Amino acid sequence: MARSRRSRRTLTVIVLVVVSLSLISLDLNGRTHSLTSGIKSAANDVYSPLRQGVVDLISPIGNFFAGAFDYGAVQSQNEQLQKAIGQLRATQAERGFEQNQLRQLTQLENLPFLPSLPVVTAQTQDEYSSNFTATITLDKGRADGVDVGYPVVGAGGLVGQVIQSFHHTCVVRLITDGQSKVGVTFGPGNLYTAIVDGQGPGSDLTADLVPPHTPVRKGEHLYTSGLNAAEYPAGIPVATVSNFHTAAGASQESITVEPSANLSELSYVDVVQWVPPT
Amino acid sequence: MTARSVVRVTLLIFVVLMVQQTVMVALRLGGAHPDLLWLIPISAALMDGPETGAIVGFWAGLAFDLVLPTPFGLSALVGCLLGYATGALTKAVDPRAAWLKPVAALAGSVAADMLFAVLGAILGQDQMVQINFLSLFLVVGLSSVILVLPVSRFMRWALAGENNRRSLVSAQTDSRIW
Repeated sequence: MARSRRSRRTLTVIVLVVVSLSLISLDLNGRTHSLTSGIKSAANDVYSPLRQGVVDLISPIGNFFAGAFDYGAVQSQNEQLQKAIGQLRATQAERGFEQNQLRQLTQLENLPFLPSLPVVTAQTQDEYSSNFTATITLDKGRADGVDVGYPVVGAGGLVGQVIQSFHHTCVVRLITDGQSKVGVTFGPGNLYTAIVDGQGPGSDLTADLVPPHTPVRKGEHLYTSGLNAAEYPAGIPVATVSNFHTAAGASQESITVEPSANLSELSYVDVVQWVPPT
Repeated sequence: MTARSVVRVTLLIFVVLMVQQTVMVALRLGGAHPDLLWLIPISAALMDGPETGAIVGFWAGLAFDLVLPTPFGLSALVGCLLGYATGALTKAVDPRAAWLKPVAALAGSVAADMLFAVLGAILGQDQMVQINFLSLFLVVGLSSVILVLPVSRFMRWALAGENNRRSLVSAQTDSRIW
């Protein structure tokens, strides 16, 4: 009796493990991925409004406590924001004419320039839903014209790339995620190229494949390269150099960079409807 | 499991998923947030043995897989193995022991996170091992020790009527703790 119970228990676990492994292989296989993606998409259509409802319900309570315990900081932050808005308005007014000229020039040159590309503005619903990935969830999906592979920009630079797109939501992999790789250019006349590699949430990024003793300076900006088969249009600020050195005998320069975008302020972002040229 | 238990466990999984994705993800400390998922198979296994732990862990993991960006099926696999291992390893332990739930929650959550990261890396998701494991283990482990008590209480409600020795004994133990 006890033996048959043990056999049944073992059989149950084996079946569940086999089913789990089958689901994983279906998800990771390029040909059958659409099946699991479809299931996730349908589930997200049901789950997202429910989740948003719960957030709407509990966020006033959270905001109340956050405001009550941290009133001084909130007030100071508000003053800083007002100041920043004033400065930005002034800068925007000054640069309007220059931007117009630049847009006309780039159109003439037929160069990819971000403001000429269509964007979908989205609100961040969820940040870092898993401890193991640096991702955010946006409130726009396929129904709004957001597809897998589209770049996402905001808060001063490149934020990441859409990796999953459902009907009304999408998941964006941030540039800090360990799987993220972005081709960039830098230096005078964008002479040099590198790959900006994510090192996981909370860690600085690195710029790889830079030959030893390449002239770099702290604070230098790195922009998307837009080279052939690039996943991003050219000219988006990606990161700034925070540290660099070449170890003796090293085959490449070691460069640490910080994201240009403020990844802690991602309430609203723009999804760029850009597909790599074939 | 009876039909009533299945409905109740489903409801519990749904509530835990909602709490995790709305409240817990906001409680980030050192880049990590508490993870309630692993507490479901742990408390089910402590209550009703390895088979129930594995089944509940599988379905709870699958529900989480629907909304997480990690490979589909990975949470289900780890949840199933965690439930089975917890039930099998604690079978000989006196279920009235006050230390059982916190210790099982601490060890189980940390082991599950480790297994989750390693399996993810084996499956090509290298970024899953490029995280700060120390803060992850601290946050997940300590929060699990605290949160295992309410989750166990709800699990006892969900599995009530399963006629198992542990649910009856745990009822007495929990009432003392609370």
